[in-house]
Amino acid sequence: MTARLSRESTTVAPGRWQLLPMRFHRFDGDCILLTNLVGEHVFLPEKEFLAVVDGSCADQHVLAELRAKHLIQLPGERLPAELLAIKLRTRLRRLPDSTGLHMFVVTLRCEHTCRYCQVSRQSSAKSEYDMSQDAAQRSLELVFRSPSPHLKLEFQGGEPLLNFPLVKWIVAEAKRMNQAYGKRLAFVIATNLALLDDEVLEFCGREDVYLSTSLDGPADLHNGNRRRPGQDSWEQTVAGIRRIQDSLGPDRVSALMTTTEASLDRAHDIIDAYADLGLRRVFLRPISPYGFAIRRRGGGGYDVERWLEFYQAGLDYIIDLNRRGVPMVETYAAIIAKKMFTNDDPGYVDLTSPAGIGLGALVYNYDGDVYASDEGRMLAEMKDHTFRLGNVHTSSYEDIMLGEQLLQPLEQSLTLSAPMCSTCAFEPYCGADPVFHHATMNDFVGQKAMSAFCQRNMGVFTALFRRVRNDSFAKELFWNWAQQ
Amino acid sequence: MTAEQGVDGTAVTFDRMTVDLDALQRAAYAVADVMTVDIAVGGDKYLCTLFPRDSAADRDELAHRIRSEVIDQTLRARIAAQTEPLRNLIFALAFSQTGLADTETPSQ
Repeated sequence: MTARLSRESTTVAPGRWQLLPMRFHRFDGDCILLTNLVGEHVFLPEKEFLAVVDGSCADQHVLAELRAKHLIQLPGERLPAELLAIKLRTRLRRLPDSTGLHMFVVTLRCEHTCRYCQVSRQSSAKSEYDMSQDAAQRSLELVFRSPSPHLKLEFQGGEPLLNFPLVKWIVAEAKRMNQAYGKRLAFVIATNLALLDDEVLEFCGREDVYLSTSLDGPADLHNGNRRRPGQDSWEQTVAGIRRIQDSLGPDRVSALMTTTEASLDRAHDIIDAYADLGLRRVFLRPISPYGFAIRRRGGGGYDVERWLEFYQAGLDYIIDLNRRGVPMVETYAAIIAKKMFTNDDPGYVDLTSPAGIGLGALVYNYDGDVYASDEGRMLAEMKDHTFRLGNVHTSSYEDIMLGEQLLQPLEQSLTLSAPMCSTCAFEPYCGADPVFHHATMNDFVGQKAMSAFCQRNMGVFTALFRRVRNDSFAKELFWNWAQQ
Repeated sequence: MTAEQGVDGTAVTFDRMTVDLDALQRAAYAVADVMTVDIAVGGDKYLCTLFPRDSAADRDELAHRIRSEVIDQTLRARIAAQTEPLRNLIFALAFSQTGLADTETPSQ
């Protein structure tokens, strides 16, 4: 038997609805973007929005869409609140399983002298800047205290391949220790690939270790940023990427770029450099305000507005590539798209609330110091130890995770209570970044109206929503990125 | 609401019967990238003085910006007040089965 609903049963009479928690943002022209607690969203003309709020809206299509997106409900309904609660719990489900990413700074030594380097790289000969096996052992004991069932161990530097024996030891020891824990382990070496050789390749293949590298774009741009003896960083990196792709498979290596002033007019060139190598993801990242990057000639001499122009030029080029059948993903947009179109939260440490420091990642420095994030370690290189949580030789897991050094910035920076964030329509997609705001404003929360973090992310959210609204191909593309 | 340009800042007034101080302060916070706002009470008015961060800024534009921001903040406050019980209910439901909100049972 087919049940048919009468028109009367689906019609909502004026004033017969309750608003569910919602936030709004003024968009282009008279358009309003409405979002609910979990990021479901609707665009409305301002007039309709005001009519919805004051109870006079008579447009049944609008009311039906608002009900479907859990922005309004009828009196007596319970399901919308229950569904919103389930979706909210789904988004926050990572919280009890904290700290999935553990970064080991196995050495500060590096044979590159990148202009934007954020750590105090040391010359290749200074082995006193290597992590000891004892420090690595104690770090691993802390790693396995993390509740997360998935543990990713990332080896950083300096150049981690300059202390490759320790990398091999940590991988073997982690696997041995994991026999008692049964967690899913993943390993990544973040390397410039200049030292990639048969031994490293064979090890990565055998032990299922992934490689992540830096690729700033075409040769002149990359080599201008990333200097080394012989001025052949790009050639070494590209050769390394191809060797890994050929011997281990195309998905075993990924690359990250950093935007310097020299990059700003070259978004297309950068993306083409990735496409030419068969890399299907590019992360259009701004420079971080730490370390050498903010010094003279560090490459960070541009403002947020200029970076947003670069970002949008790159994003539009990537959309066009996809339109022409060339698959390419912009990683930051994909992270946000997942929050826009699903109830999942990818857990990207810069875009979570509570902040990702400590809860999303921990950093074990070569000297045993433990930091709440990589940026926290970079600040320490600038003599600011605010985010140093302890030392593996002297601190317990409880000291590190329950100390005021971590809890204070976490508690203070929650976006659901921070000024401007709590009423921002983009809050479901955004995050707290107490390290950035401490570094730039000497405050864990920061004055959002003047925050470069806020300006940059608002710019990105607006850019993505504008394309969602105006370009059906881009909307479908972002939706597909969200499902990956 | 009225606006008047002085030597040091631009004066804008709001009626205390129609504008809430909290909305006014939130608006002042939100526009802090382009101006700072001094808020005083005078009779049945809030007397605001706008000080641009850029001395070349268009004073009329600043007045429009703070007025429209106050209207938006007032609307946000109204929506928040209407939806607060449901918001609390949704958060209570969301955390009710996680174990995070459970209290430890004292040992007997």
